[in-house]
Amino acid sequence: MTTRNILAGLLLAAVFVTGRSVIAHHAFGAEFDPNAPIRLQGKVVRLEWVNPHTWIHIETVKDGKPEIWMVEGGTPNTLLRRGITRDTVAVGTEVIVDGYQTKDHSLKRANGRDVTFADGRKLFMGSSGTGAPRDGSDPIEGGTKPAPKKPGGK
Amino acid sequence: MRNILVGLAIASVAATSLAAQAPKTIAKPAALRTSDGKPDLQGVWTNATITPLERPQNIKDLVLTEEAAARMEKAVTDRRDRLNEPSDPNRTAPPQGGDGSTGAAGNVGGYNNFWLDPGERVAIVDGQRRSSLIIDPPDGRIPALTQEARTRQQARAKLAMGRGQYDHPEYRPLAERCLLSFGPTTPLVPNYFYNNNLQIVQTPDHVMILMEMVHDARVVRIGGTHLPKHIRPWMGDSIGHWEGDTLVVDTTNFPPQQNFRGASENLHVVERFRRADDKTINYRFTVDDPTTFTAPFTGEIPFRAMEELIYEYACHEGNYALGNVLSGARNEEKRLGSKQ
Repeated sequence: MTTRNILAGLLLAAVFVTGRSVIAHHAFGAEFDPNAPIRLQGKVVRLEWVNPHTWIHIETVKDGKPEIWMVEGGTPNTLLRRGITRDTVAVGTEVIVDGYQTKDHSLKRANGRDVTFADGRKLFMGSSGTGAPRDGSDPIEGGTKPAPKKPGGK
Repeated sequence: MRNILVGLAIASVAATSLAAQAPKTIAKPAALRTSDGKPDLQGVWTNATITPLERPQNIKDLVLTEEAAARMEKAVTDRRDRLNEPSDPNRTAPPQGGDGSTGAAGNVGGYNNFWLDPGERVAIVDGQRRSSLIIDPPDGRIPALTQEARTRQQARAKLAMGRGQYDHPEYRPLAERCLLSFGPTTPLVPNYFYNNNLQIVQTPDHVMILMEMVHDARVVRIGGTHLPKHIRPWMGDSIGHWEGDTLVVDTTNFPPQQNFRGASENLHVVERFRRADDKTINYRFTVDDPTTFTAPFTGEIPFRAMEELIYEYACHEGNYALGNVLSGARNEEKRLGSKQ
């Protein structure tokens, strides 16, 4: 399955289970322009591992000129609990992003609707069972902290 | 971002307590009691669960069979595995005009599933696997809203959709402004998204509940009376007392801006914290607001001990979104030539 509408999918699930829509930190629909879809491919130049949302900076090339784009992800806390830090993805790693540009087109910012390595693998692996949060209630969790994941990239 | 321990609020609460504590003979294991003999609720806990607040309409009973619970849990992990699969590296930009997503993803999608951590287990309380967090009314559903509440909801929705909603940062939602979490803070119901973790620090005089989302500390005074009506802290005013081994916390004085399930500032929440075993607190909450709900409702949530600390969720530090939303609105105004 592709990663389309992942947050939407979760929201639909949340609506299903809770019977009402969930209001997340902010409405992406208020921030990004549905009439400005983008596909970016470039190298990671910086990761802002900040709350409320992570921003991945990548350098792309348009008409022969370099551009720096900022790509919005989710909270870093969940990844930190899995041992994934901002150093897990090396500067220079090539990634592909699809998303939508901010409504302010003077900003080179977009949501990271799907962020992958150049070969399509997800930048990180979702995990709600083996890494985060370990609460001690499940014997299969064991007693050791999971080793930091190093996807490596290309 | 750094892995930061909880903040000064805890330290200040903790510092006031030590001198007042006197050793007493205690019957239960010492590790589960504080030095003044009260049940020790301290630690880092998670309330993450896939059990919804309200029972799905197609499930009748509160208690799930082991098989039904296993099926629900497997559905969650199967979905996660699907979403972990690689994408097409030759994919193009998403559709012009939006991708059809709804809710907070508002027609532009959100971000990858790997950022999320909504939990993967059903809630187990007193050995029962639960189909809903709400246990009363018996159907596990929030009672109907009053007519007053429905009118209020419509007015809020109209305001939120109306022209001018982007004119000032203070018109934006509390979560977007990093003032409160998008999930409930009182009562402590999971947000079903991520960071459903909290830390409790306890003294004879105060109990502090620090929620990872969004680094909010609610300080409960033990004993005393509520603040005057005109003082309305963001998370309400909490006072507590002990009933045997249960901590009972009574919260009123909510500000009108909070909106737990459509509640008004007349919201009244009573929470009961009871240590079930060395890894679990049984948390029970009752919500009452006669101006909003046609009857009170009660829920139960297991808080499970975590072996890890809470990460600081310094929401203001990286909140580019608020600026993006406002500058996006200015851009739209210029485009439409209707700048006011």
